[in-house]
Amino acid sequence: MIESSPPPGEKGEKQPRDTPLWAQRVERLEVSDVPEGAANVNVQGRREVGALQGFGQLWQKTYRVRLAGLEKTPEEVVREWKEHFPEFLPLNSRFYPSMEGVAPGEVLFISASVGGMPVHTGVRVIYADDESFTVMTPEGHPESGWNTFSAYQDDDGATVAQIQSLARANDPIYEVGFRIVGATQQERIWTHVLKSLAAHFSVNEPVSLEKVCVDPKVQWSQVRNVWHNAGARSMLYTITAPLRWRRASQD
Amino acid sequence: MTERETDGDQTLHGSLHSLRGEYEEIKEIYRTRRQDMPEAQVSMNVRKASEKVSIIDVEGELTAFAEDLLMDAYNQASDGQARAIILNFEDLEYMNSSGIGLLVTLLIRINREKQQLLTYGLSDHYKSIFQITRLDDAISTYDTEEEAVRAANAM
Repeated sequence: MIESSPPPGEKGEKQPRDTPLWAQRVERLEVSDVPEGAANVNVQGRREVGALQGFGQLWQKTYRVRLAGLEKTPEEVVREWKEHFPEFLPLNSRFYPSMEGVAPGEVLFISASVGGMPVHTGVRVIYADDESFTVMTPEGHPESGWNTFSAYQDDDGATVAQIQSLARANDPIYEVGFRIVGATQQERIWTHVLKSLAAHFSVNEPVSLEKVCVDPKVQWSQVRNVWHNAGARSMLYTITAPLRWRRASQD
Repeated sequence: MTERETDGDQTLHGSLHSLRGEYEEIKEIYRTRRQDMPEAQVSMNVRKASEKVSIIDVEGELTAFAEDLLMDAYNQASDGQARAIILNFEDLEYMNSSGIGLLVTLLIRINREKQQLLTYGLSDHYKSIFQITRLDDAISTYDTEEEAVRAANAM
């Protein structure tokens, strides 16, 4: 799904330098090519939801790994991160990028297993530059918000890879799940990603995690988000698979 | 370092001398790097539009490096009886996704204080970003300062 550069502003104003780095605005996600192995369930037609549209507490979590001894710039690290993004994820959380890969506007499909239950969903890349890229979640995703993957140089000149999440649980079911076990599982996933990224560069360093509860209040006004719950809909999709197979074989 | 660790006692004085030299060299490197470290490329000015409305003029780049400045500006703007904070983005030159995250955390703080957050001066590009990230669901945007201040006073 390629989006062309946005036209000049309506008032003929000069475009800021970050203009091509942002995705175009869309009312709802439209997907034309579904990568092999991915399930276009809970993606097509969904609206994107940010940190203000979710139900649960708002958390900012920052995961970091210091790539000590690696002589690569942040740009080089992020370039390889984009190229090999799916390879760094654990087996229970598969990402399927489009042919265009990690680029503004592209949708990355996700097939995950949460507590043994399938969850098919996706995220859209809303921002990407040489040193970072940010994905935003759709309705039904366990989270409502953004994840930013980036690299920078610290005071000692070492390159640090970072994942920063600013998100709420999308609905009450996910919020309960996160509070009981989900948050730990999610933290394991991103820790795994950074460890895998580091290993890709032959670096074995610990991953640090900083957590800040930005807003401890849940947003009851968003309780109806549960209607789009990707976990519930994915389970239904899985249960009805024999029916779809039968229909396909009759056609 | 390995070579120095293997130095014998008779060369200890020489080792200390070379260590001091290396220490001075490292200090110079840190000084240089600190100068090269990206600083916030942004300035913020706080002014009062009315007794209950404060304006923060944001000039430059809104990125993660702007966090301290933005929060300091908010503390100043909120001092007293401000019920509404208006962000002036007429001179905003650049904003990345970290900048959007900053606005979210600022909004949460403002709402916690039962205040309102408004903006004006966003270009079409940044209005689009507000729509993409759905910040416009919670942050009102206006074209001019006059409109924003009028809306804030009416709240």
